[in-house]
Amino acid sequence: MSEIRIEKLHFSYGMHSEVLKGLDFTIDERSTAIVGQNGAGKTTFVKLLKGLLRPSSGRILLDGKDIALSTAAGLAARIGMVFQNPNDQIFKNTVLDEVMFGPLQIGMSWEEAHKRSMDALSMTGLQDLEEKNPYDMGLSARKLIAVASVLAMHTDIVIFDEPTIAQDYVGKERIKRIIRELRREGRTVITIIHDMDFVAEVFERVIVFADGKMLLDDSAARVFADRKALEAACLEQPNVTRLCRELGYEGVFLDVEELVEKIRPLMGKNTDESK
Amino acid sequence: MKSISLYEEKGTMLNRTAPESKLCYILAAVAVPALTGNRWAGIAFTVCSLVLLLAGRVLRKALPMAAVSGFVLLTVVVIQGMFRAGNATPVFSAGPVVFYREGLSYALHIVCNIMNILLGFCVLVLTTKPSDLIENLVRRGFSPRFGYVFVSVFQIIPQMTETMSTITDAQRSRGMETEGSLFTRIKAFIPLISPVVMSSLVNTRERALALEARGFASRRKKTFLNEETKTAADRYIQIVCLLMTAAALVWRIAAWLT
Amino acid sequence: MAYVTAEHLKYKYPGSDALALDDLSFSVEKGELIGIIGKNGSGKSSLCQAIAGLIPSFYKGAYGGRLLLGDLEVRSADADELCSKVGIVFQNPFNQVTGAKLTLYEEIAFGLENMGIPRPEMKERVEAAMAFLHISEYRDRYPFDLSGGQMQRMAIAGILAMRPEIMVLDEPVSQLDPQGRREVFAAVRSLSRQGITIFMAEHNMEQIADFSDRVMLLHAGRLVAMDTPSRLFSRDDLEEYGVCPPVFTRLARALGIRKADGTWPVTLAEAKELLSVHGTAFRGCAHE
Repeated sequence: MSEIRIEKLHFSYGMHSEVLKGLDFTIDERSTAIVGQNGAGKTTFVKLLKGLLRPSSGRILLDGKDIALSTAAGLAARIGMVFQNPNDQIFKNTVLDEVMFGPLQIGMSWEEAHKRSMDALSMTGLQDLEEKNPYDMGLSARKLIAVASVLAMHTDIVIFDEPTIAQDYVGKERIKRIIRELRREGRTVITIIHDMDFVAEVFERVIVFADGKMLLDDSAARVFADRKALEAACLEQPNVTRLCRELGYEGVFLDVEELVEKIRPLMGKNTDESK
Repeated sequence: MKSISLYEEKGTMLNRTAPESKLCYILAAVAVPALTGNRWAGIAFTVCSLVLLLAGRVLRKALPMAAVSGFVLLTVVVIQGMFRAGNATPVFSAGPVVFYREGLSYALHIVCNIMNILLGFCVLVLTTKPSDLIENLVRRGFSPRFGYVFVSVFQIIPQMTETMSTITDAQRSRGMETEGSLFTRIKAFIPLISPVVMSSLVNTRERALALEARGFASRRKKTFLNEETKTAADRYIQIVCLLMTAAALVWRIAAWLT
Repeated sequence: MAYVTAEHLKYKYPGSDALALDDLSFSVEKGELIGIIGKNGSGKSSLCQAIAGLIPSFYKGAYGGRLLLGDLEVRSADADELCSKVGIVFQNPFNQVTGAKLTLYEEIAFGLENMGIPRPEMKERVEAAMAFLHISEYRDRYPFDLSGGQMQRMAIAGILAMRPEIMVLDEPVSQLDPQGRREVFAAVRSLSRQGITIFMAEHNMEQIADFSDRVMLLHAGRLVAMDTPSRLFSRDDLEEYGVCPPVFTRLARALGIRKADGTWPVTLAEAKELLSVHGTAFRGCAHE
């Protein structure tokens, strides 16, 4: 279990525009969604976590050690990141070679890399496709290849950048399962995401970014209860939460199952009485 | 603004002058000294360009370019001055190094020519919006497709470099080392090539579809949102420049024939 | 009266064995908003491109059947006729920026220049399109510096200025943040109110249910069903086609609350109305 401590983190591109204006929090074992408008600083933040950018001031401590002391390539063995567009990384001619690239780069033996890669392929539902050429596959499948190629590196921390973009229902369900599986294995999952229904269903902790600052940081239920703050960050509540609000229900419900569980017993009573 | 164009709007007379006039000016500035072989013609055009750049308030932007090429030209002066075949008349010496009149004179000739051409192009490039130039050429019957490619290159390349840096980040995240020995850096290049090619192909195809959907393939006569950039003086500038070029050409031919 | 009509429309991309569009027949009234759903690879984008005429003008390949836009047959229409009849907006706003213009204002005029619209009329149309999409304030901005939502509205404005009667939107918000999505969806709604016939492919079923007059469900290039959102999302076999009904429908199903006509509620408003009837009993239920 890894702990990431962010201390007084600031970042600016060039001299002027400050993108991150002082972030202070700790990322723990809970699966964490970072939400906010484009330009709020989410992508910059995860790039800093990955060591792809260097803070203007402040520190990021990974298990107590400043990540500024390692290179991006060195950090790769600890923190994996799935980029938004799979076309930005795929370059090998077979799925297996593509997935094994990362593990081999971070110094795994061929045997271990192969084993980890096969595990990652079965987790993403790509088993039996390992000899196919990624270029012959559709965008959804390519996205899963990108996910598998990061999972195979077996990092303690996995970051997803907009994993649900351009995914259909089946693709989203698969990604949902992968995130839950990682959580079960005790790996830290951090996701940048715009899809609030997905966040409500999958993530335990939600951090809201607005204009380079952290606006909210709490459990999904509490964050989505705070309609005013969400509006200030140009976000909206998940559909189920909105419905409950419209109906004047007390309490915040995040997904269908949760709400049904609450309502069904009451409804039973209701219909019994009417009989 | 992420465009690699060097143009800057200053609201000067040169900004309003038709781009074709500036093209004619470049033609004259290059052709007249070349055809007549007269060094003073080159110098005269150089001075003229400097005055124009000053009037266009872009001299400051032209100087760094002149300075960069000046550095290259300095090496030309040194090498030609010392080693040109046919060097006979020493002019001065610095220790063991001797400079000759013939070589220096030849080098000076090159310097004048290059400065003349460079500053002539500066007059065009620094004071003309690329799209104005292309639009005016399309008005004169130039192919709109070719024009589009020419203009969009200035904007699409900066966008492509952004894609390139995302791709580099994606591969660094997978443990690819980009710093270190030459060999490491060459090796790091391979995982970048096919994603770059792939994403450029995808983007280009999507953009081509979007252009098609906006009537890019239309056979109708194009119209233009912006009015043509031109002034009353343009016609005369163009006539004078073309006449000078023609006169130089006639002079050259006459010189051959006699 | 049928306005857009497909009769046994078939299409196969060059070099591919499978039909991307497999025997589609449907008809759409003028002014309808048609949602297009189906999993990735089901043929949504191909259908969008066929309606916009990019299939077969841009993509060659095998084409069969007929597609009529009013009295214009897509297959034999030329570029100019198509452009003034139908416009298309794509997923990625970025790749729709021409790259040939320095301001949003000039960018929107691009299509009009190609169509040879006289300058005074062109200016008027650009102004109207910018005002309609609430982007007049960004008129002098460099196109690539706009936010995703602004860029996508610029793309829509560029099409709108060409005054098409039909507009096709292929997942227009999938690359945008929540703010950008709201902006673009609001724009689509007002286009529809203007009487423009709209086809919109989209993965967000809550939005599709909320927007569409009718929904087309595609699977493997075939048209599985075309019906009102209520009836379509009340089908029992959606899972087979890789489609999940709106959350409101799933909730109502789990609770067994139907509308009077036997269909399930599909929008927030419908769900609210039905649940309000049972409402008093749940009001006290709190979350712990």
